Amino acid sequence: MTVFLQSMLSGLLVGGVYALIGVGLTIIFGVMRVINFAHGDLLMLGMYATWFIFTKSGLDPYVALLATAPLLFLWGAFLQKVFINRVLNALPQNQILLTIGLGLIMSNSMMLLFTSDYRILTTTYSSSSFDVGGLSVSQPLLYSFLITAAITGALFWFLSRTDTGQAIRATAQDREAAQLMGINVRWTSILAFGIGSALSGAAGTLIAPTYYIYPQVGSAFTLKAFVIVVLGGMGSIVGATLGGLIIGVTESLAAIYVASGLKELVVFVLFLALLLFRPSGLLGKSRA
Amino acid sequence: MTPSPLRPAHRGSSLAALLAFAAAVILLAIFPSFVKKPYVLHMGVMLFLAVIQGQAWNVIGGYTGQYSVGHSAFFGIGAYATMMLLEVNKIPPWWGIWAAMASAMILSLIIGSITFRLRGPYFVLASISVAEIIRLAALHFKGFTRGAEGFLLSSIPPLHLFGTEIEFFTKRSFYYVGLLLAVVTIAANWAVQHSKLGYYFQAIREDQDAAHSLGINLSFYKNVALAISAAFTAAAGGFFAMFVKFIDPNIAFGLDVSVQIVLICIVGGIGTIIGPVLGAMVLVPLSEILRNPRGLVQVGVLSADSGVVRFIETYLSNAHLLVFGILVVVVILFAPEGVLGVIRRIVGRSRRRRTAPDAAASPA
Repeated sequence: MTVFLQSMLSGLLVGGVYALIGVGLTIIFGVMRVINFAHGDLLMLGMYATWFIFTKSGLDPYVALLATAPLLFLWGAFLQKVFINRVLNALPQNQILLTIGLGLIMSNSMMLLFTSDYRILTTTYSSSSFDVGGLSVSQPLLYSFLITAAITGALFWFLSRTDTGQAIRATAQDREAAQLMGINVRWTSILAFGIGSALSGAAGTLIAPTYYIYPQVGSAFTLKAFVIVVLGGMGSIVGATLGGLIIGVTESLAAIYVASGLKELVVFVLFLALLLFRPSGLLGKSRA
Repeated sequence: MTPSPLRPAHRGSSLAALLAFAAAVILLAIFPSFVKKPYVLHMGVMLFLAVIQGQAWNVIGGYTGQYSVGHSAFFGIGAYATMMLLEVNKIPPWWGIWAAMASAMILSLIIGSITFRLRGPYFVLASISVAEIIRLAALHFKGFTRGAEGFLLSSIPPLHLFGTEIEFFTKRSFYYVGLLLAVVTIAANWAVQHSKLGYYFQAIREDQDAAHSLGINLSFYKNVALAISAAFTAAAGGFFAMFVKFIDPNIAFGLDVSVQIVLICIVGGIGTIIGPVLGAMVLVPLSEILRNPRGLVQVGVLSADSGVVRFIETYLSNAHLLVFGILVVVVILFAPEGVLGVIRRIVGRSRRRRTAPDAAASPA
């Protein structure tokens, strides 16, 4: 039983970070209907930025978050304005290929700059854990879960209580109607991509103390992010949050009860089953 | 689904095109008699490989409009089947490749039945997932596939054909096999395009629901397209395995492979026969030169202390994926119909300038 509970707990903690990635992707899809294949590479950029700041100045990753998130926001806004904006009306396949291309550019530029060597970022608490009622709670994972919860809460508040946030939600709901209401949809698209990138970069910062950092780390996260978003329902933030937690727990349980090497395979099989039987996900509005 | 701006295939093919194709094949066939440098033949083989992959993908992606970014599943199955039959069961690759193609077709029927009810981007995601599932399974089930250790080819037995013995040690034999496979794939593509099958595929691409309302059985024809595509992709995979002599799950089933296959068609010109050839002619030399700039020195194009070679070696080694990424972005943004589209535009513009000035203005 302890194994099960421990596995659930670790899964939930990791799931929090997955949720952050998923929420970013779902905002981008919700507002622009673009399937962003470079999402994991944005996370990778966040990881490298954190590592760079840490090695140059010793600044704790969780503090560096205040720098990396805005940095990734600006980068995402730039990508949207220069590249993504031009294909908003193109075939979805072309949009996907464009984001794949951007992802390739990002990951391979980092490879040229920093080589493919695995980097690690060890803080004083990287491997410590708390003992809670017989279960071991990893310190860095707990901190990132709490920060993720705070970020998600802030995002919720932003989207429901501020004008800009509501403008974003309106654009996601119906782009043309939003334009008729006087919302500058080009701005909301830029904002949405920026926020999505910032969230992805923040996720990267949060997991930097616990993961190997290398240029190709993004692709695994991109695919996982898609599973999360489809599970939660494309465009639903609550859904993506739930999806992240569910996937985290599924992966953790699969590692114990199926086989450690097959845990990602289980996630993909779940993904296929979802796409077939419930493509609108848990909370998504079924759109074509 | 927004209709694509591609023109429908011509029913007949011009004699000029056929003659040009035949001439090209003959030239390629006698090429190794003049140029013996193994590096050039190596480039030729990689070029043929890319052409086969591109033509095969085109059947499902270009004609039928289903962009599969998981074609490495078929490529890998072909590679592993051929390799395992040779290494484990001692069956020579000219028989093994048929088994590889057959297994790929069976796999394609399974994949098709799962994924074809999805449309557009969801289909893309599903195809990627399937390829990843196969890759992860190949990594995990070591007893069967030797996992991450991969398969190293020991030797290919010589082929006794028409009284002569063809050995597979030098690149020359691979060059001819590659040329043969490429010609066969192009011919098969041409046959599909000029048949009723081709019309059904294109109808599905242009508007699935309209096609369905006209009585075209969507899942049947999509599965046929995927089966044809899978068979030729698997043949390419088997050929690849024999040529590079080492495969592991990442080389065979990786997402990189799938993306590169799609790139060949996108860069060249999707949905056409010559498109993948053009795409291969752009991508293969680019990636080979970036991987190995010394190769240019070997073939005598550049001198040994050329600044270009040194620049590539210092700054761009193994950056071919970066260049691919840039190429994709440029193509999608400025030339979604690929190199062929650019050529058509240039030719069209020069033709318009030659017509009388008072002719009706043609659309830009």
